[in-house]
This record gives sequence, structure tokens and C-alpha cells, in this order.
Amino acid sequence: MEFLSALLNGFSSGGTYAIIAIGYTMVYGIAKMLNFAHGDIIMVGGYAMFVALVFNQPLVALAFAILACMLLGITVERLAYKPLRGASSLAVLITAIGVSSLLQSLAQIIFGAAPKMPTQFMINGAITLGTFRINYSTLVTLAVTVVIMTALTVFVKYTKTGRAMVAVSEDRGAAQLMGINTNRIIAITFAIGSALAAVAAYLMLMKAPTLSSTLGAMPGIKAFTAAVIGGIGSIPGAMLGGVLLGVIESLALSVPQLAPFTDAIEFAVLIVILLVKPAGLLGKARREKV
Amino acid sequence: MKKLLALLLAVLMIAGTCVAFSSCKKGDETIKIGLSGPLTGGAAVYGLGVANAAQMAVDEINAKGGINGIKLELKVMDDANDATKIANNYAALVDWGMQLSLGCVTTQPALEFKALSKTDNIFFMTPSASADAVRAESNGYQMCFADKKQGVAAANYVNGLGLTKIGVFYQSDIDYSQGIFTEFKANLNDTITVVEASFTNQTKSDFTQQVSTLKDCEFIFMPIYYAEAALFMTQAKSETGIKTYYGCDGLDGLESELDLSTIPQAITMLTHFKSDAANAKTFVANYTAKYGTDTLNQFGASAYDCIYAIVGALEAAIKAGKTVDASTSAADMCKILKEQIDGGYTYSGAVTGTGEVKWTTDGFVNKEALVHVLKEASN
Repeated sequence: MEFLSALLNGFSSGGTYAIIAIGYTMVYGIAKMLNFAHGDIIMVGGYAMFVALVFNQPLVALAFAILACMLLGITVERLAYKPLRGASSLAVLITAIGVSSLLQSLAQIIFGAAPKMPTQFMINGAITLGTFRINYSTLVTLAVTVVIMTALTVFVKYTKTGRAMVAVSEDRGAAQLMGINTNRIIAITFAIGSALAAVAAYLMLMKAPTLSSTLGAMPGIKAFTAAVIGGIGSIPGAMLGGVLLGVIESLALSVPQLAPFTDAIEFAVLIVILLVKPAGLLGKARREKV
Repeated sequence: MKKLLALLLAVLMIAGTCVAFSSCKKGDETIKIGLSGPLTGGAAVYGLGVANAAQMAVDEINAKGGINGIKLELKVMDDANDATKIANNYAALVDWGMQLSLGCVTTQPALEFKALSKTDNIFFMTPSASADAVRAESNGYQMCFADKKQGVAAANYVNGLGLTKIGVFYQSDIDYSQGIFTEFKANLNDTITVVEASFTNQTKSDFTQQVSTLKDCEFIFMPIYYAEAALFMTQAKSETGIKTYYGCDGLDGLESELDLSTIPQAITMLTHFKSDAANAKTFVANYTAKYGTDTLNQFGASAYDCIYAIVGALEAAIKAGKTVDASTSAADMCKILKEQIDGGYTYSGAVTGTGEVKWTTDGFVNKEALVHVLKEASN
């Protein structure tokens, strides 16, 4: 029973990681950059919802946060990353880290250092079957994850914009020659990733109502790990990696002797997977042409 | 053209830094107190509390004429709770002319600070870095209880409750929590079964799993900081199997984070600072008037006491015929203060503890621990 509930908790937190990881992986696949500020978009989403609580409607707050994050994602891309489109990937990486610090510091200046606890998003209660319990929040997370993943898959496969995204990720130069406006596609990618970050913020606050300027830092790194495990650039890979990471984390935490080493275990799994499959579980192995 | 501009900017920056440093050197008529703490990042609320309260104490003392007419000056460096930043901060403080110090706010940086200050013979009294190792064989003293002492006191308290099974919820990657937990476990009666759940800095944003591990424990000991405790309590709100939470001084500030009336369980804690204690009233009123309640916590109260304790010790030394002024070297200052404190100096009028603070012969702080009932159970 303990094992089963740990497993379900794992699926739930894994779902959140997966949603964040999709943001990482899409941006990497299409803009070929590691957007280390992605985690902080989650944090901004959290604070946006906190501010929008004046309407006293969690779902209105979510909508507001999604809009705010999309706007922020597009703005950051336009101001910080677009001018560096031709620059080395290291320059872009450092810029992303800079944006991350900037967002965190701004949040601390505006909202103060003490964490906020917006309990309005919490979903309490559980379904009980004998000694077995499933929290409602776990179910909601799972449902939201499934819906988002299905919607994204359909979007990428069957819409014009979605297929343009695939084309840009395959070969940006060729896509441009085919008449695809790559700047527009990249902006859309950032918008989608940021909207997902806002959803992730909602899912996090729903289970654990704590909001500080570092809210997104750790989940961001975890999700990045998940994206790498699944094969960075691959959307189904990000989903798989996220769920896998969540389950490993939850199982490790449920064993007292292992709990202090949760992170070590997670990253050990990452190393093993990368040794066996260097491109990640679902990543495409690209042969280097010489 | 761009290159020229970049060069010009670089030159301006260097010039600016030089001016800033040279202007610092001018005012040598003060006793210089250095401090490094987290003013940004996850632990900023503690660092800001310390920086504000220490500055408040310094301002108060200066308004009354300082020590023998010599004003105090405080310089705070930001370390973001990152021990790797200490070497730089420390060097900057020494360059500035630091004569004595409050060390660091948090434990890991404080250990680094301790090593550096030992070689230079600089005195420090940390308000809040509570690991036993911070004190051991150093020029440093603590205003907070050392972890060991809290772990033993907590175990003694729990042993007296007559429980057969308790839960412990701790953070495995910080010395504070791990240190208290280790001592607690070592001093707990063998008859008590302990159910453990833990988290790390990387897993502190969601405690769903830990709540489900501990949900059948009536009594949960949580030697952790208030933000995580508040989160755990909120997530475990509907767990009727849990009746009582018990924590250490890290829980201070919980009320600022959490509407306690929303938690059905009883919450008690062992502490050295209660914001509603009689001896803390003036401090709390003055602090909140100046800085608000956002960063009011035991870290700040303790820093306030550090400044007054150090000033008291220096004044006692002056009375005993020592010379203390703006030109006293850090090493001399260290010798004078150590002589005073090791020689049985008592600091009274503290806002932490019950007002009287001493240090034992092995250098650990000796004051009364308070048992504070934050709220009764409301079932």
C-alpha cells in the first residue's frame, strides 16, 4: 500500500515535471538553446496567480498567470535571446542564466524575501478505498498532464504551425527557405512553453502552497534533467522523463534510509541512462558527418 | 566606436570602484563591525533580519554616544547563503578595516568564516550559525543555542511525554536540522519508535510523500525552519492521525507565514526568542516600526543581542583598564573580548532567553531555553 501510494504521488509530481520539461525541450528543439530561465517563469506564474487572487477565483488567476507568462516569455525572447540568434550557444546560455537571476531578484524586491502561502489554490481531500488513499490533487495533476500532452501531440502533428515547428527543429535554414517565418515560430514556442510553466505553477501550488522567488529553480533543474533523460528536443521524451523522474523521487523519499540521497539517486539514473543511450530514452541519435 | 565605448565604460567602472574604496578609508574614527549574511536568495529573510536588527542596535548605541564616545560602524556583505562567497566577503571586510565581527548568519558560510578568522585572529559572535563546529576551537561565540544543546533538550522533553512512537521530519542536507536530529536520536529513550521522513533543499517544494509516511504519528518532532514546517502543516491539515508538532528555534516566524488557526494540530517549540516575551517587547516594537514584520525573526533578535553583548563586554574591558578605540587592532580586540567572555562576563537585558546570557567555559552560550506553545490543538 505504501508502495502504491508512493507510486501515485510519483506520477503526480512527475506529471508536473513533464509539463515543465516540455517547455525546456521545445525551446531546445526549436531555438537550439537551453533556456535556464524557464524555471523562473514558473515562479513568475506563481506570483501572477498570487496577485490575481484579488478576483478570488483560482481559475481566473490561472488564466491571468498564463497570459502574463506568455507575454513574459515572448518579451524575454525578443529582448534577451533574439539579438543573440547568431551568437555562440555559450553566450545564449549565460544570458539565460542572467535572465534567471534578474527574474528572481525582481520577485524578491517586489514581493519580499518571506515565502507566501496562497492556500486558495489547494485542493484538499482524498478518495479512500480501505487503507488506500488517492489525493484529489494527484488525480487533477494526472488529468491535466494527460490532457496537455494529448493536446500538444495533436497540435504538433496536425496543425500548420505545429508542423512548421517540427520543420524548424529539423533544419532551421531549410525551413526558412521553405517560407517559414522562423522568428514567429520561435516566439510561439516560447509562448507555449511559458503558458505550460504557468500551468505547472498552478499544479505545484495546488499540492503545496509555498511561493518564493526560488520556487521554480529546483523544479526547473529537475525538469531539465527529465528532458535530458527523455532525449532533449523530443516532446514524448520529456513526458516520459518527467514521469520517470517523479516516480524515482517519490519512491526514494518513501524509504527513510534512502530519502537523504534522493537527488543522488535521481542523477545516478540520469548518468546510467546517458551511458546506455547517450541521446536520452527517446532522443534521436544523430550521426556526426565529417 | 563600440570598442572605444566599452573601453571607456570599463575605465569608468574601475575608477568608480577606486573612488568607492578610497572614500571608505577616510572615516577611520569608528569601531568597525563586519558581517556576512544572505541578503538575497532563499535564506534572505534571515540575513535581512540580522542586518536590520544589527544596524538598529548600532544606531541606538551611536545615538547614546557609542563606546566611550567612539561610534560603531556596521558593514554587511551578501553571501546568499553560499559558503564559496565567504572568502571574497571576508577579504573585503578585512580591507575595509573590520575590527570585530558578527561572523555569518547561516552555518555553512560561518564554518568558512571561522577558518579564515582563526588565522587572522578576528573575533566573531554569530547570532544564528548554530552548528557546534562553529564554536569549537575558534575565535567565535554564538548567541543562539548550539544544535547539540537543542537536540538534547528536545529529547529530554519528548522522553518525559510517555509516548511509544513518534515521527521526525527533518532536512538532511543542512547542519542545523541534521545536527539536532542526530543529538535528539542519540538521547531519546530506546523504548520510543521513531518514524523518519526527510527532505533536502532540492525536494522542499512538495511534501506529499512525507505527509503520507508520517500520517499515523501522533507526535511529530520537526527540527526544521518555519517555511518548510508551514508547508508540511498545511499539506497535512486533514491528517487526523497527527495531533502535535514540536520544533526548535527554527520554527520562529511561523505565525508570519501561516494562519495558525487553520491548523488543527497543537504546535509547540523550544526557542530562545519569543516575540511576545516581556524582555522582547521594546525590540519588537522598534523593529516593526522601522522595518515591518516581514523580516522580524529570532535571527534578528539574536543579532541585536550580539551587538549589545559585544558592546557590554568592551565597556567592561574599558572599565577594567583596557584601551579600546578606533585604532585597536583586530587581534587586540579579539584578545580583549575573549578575556572578558571567558572570564565570566554576563550580558543582561537580552531580548533572547530570559534576559541573562553567559558563556560556559567551553565557549557555548548559556541561557534559558523557552518552551513556547504556539497554539493548542483545536479539534
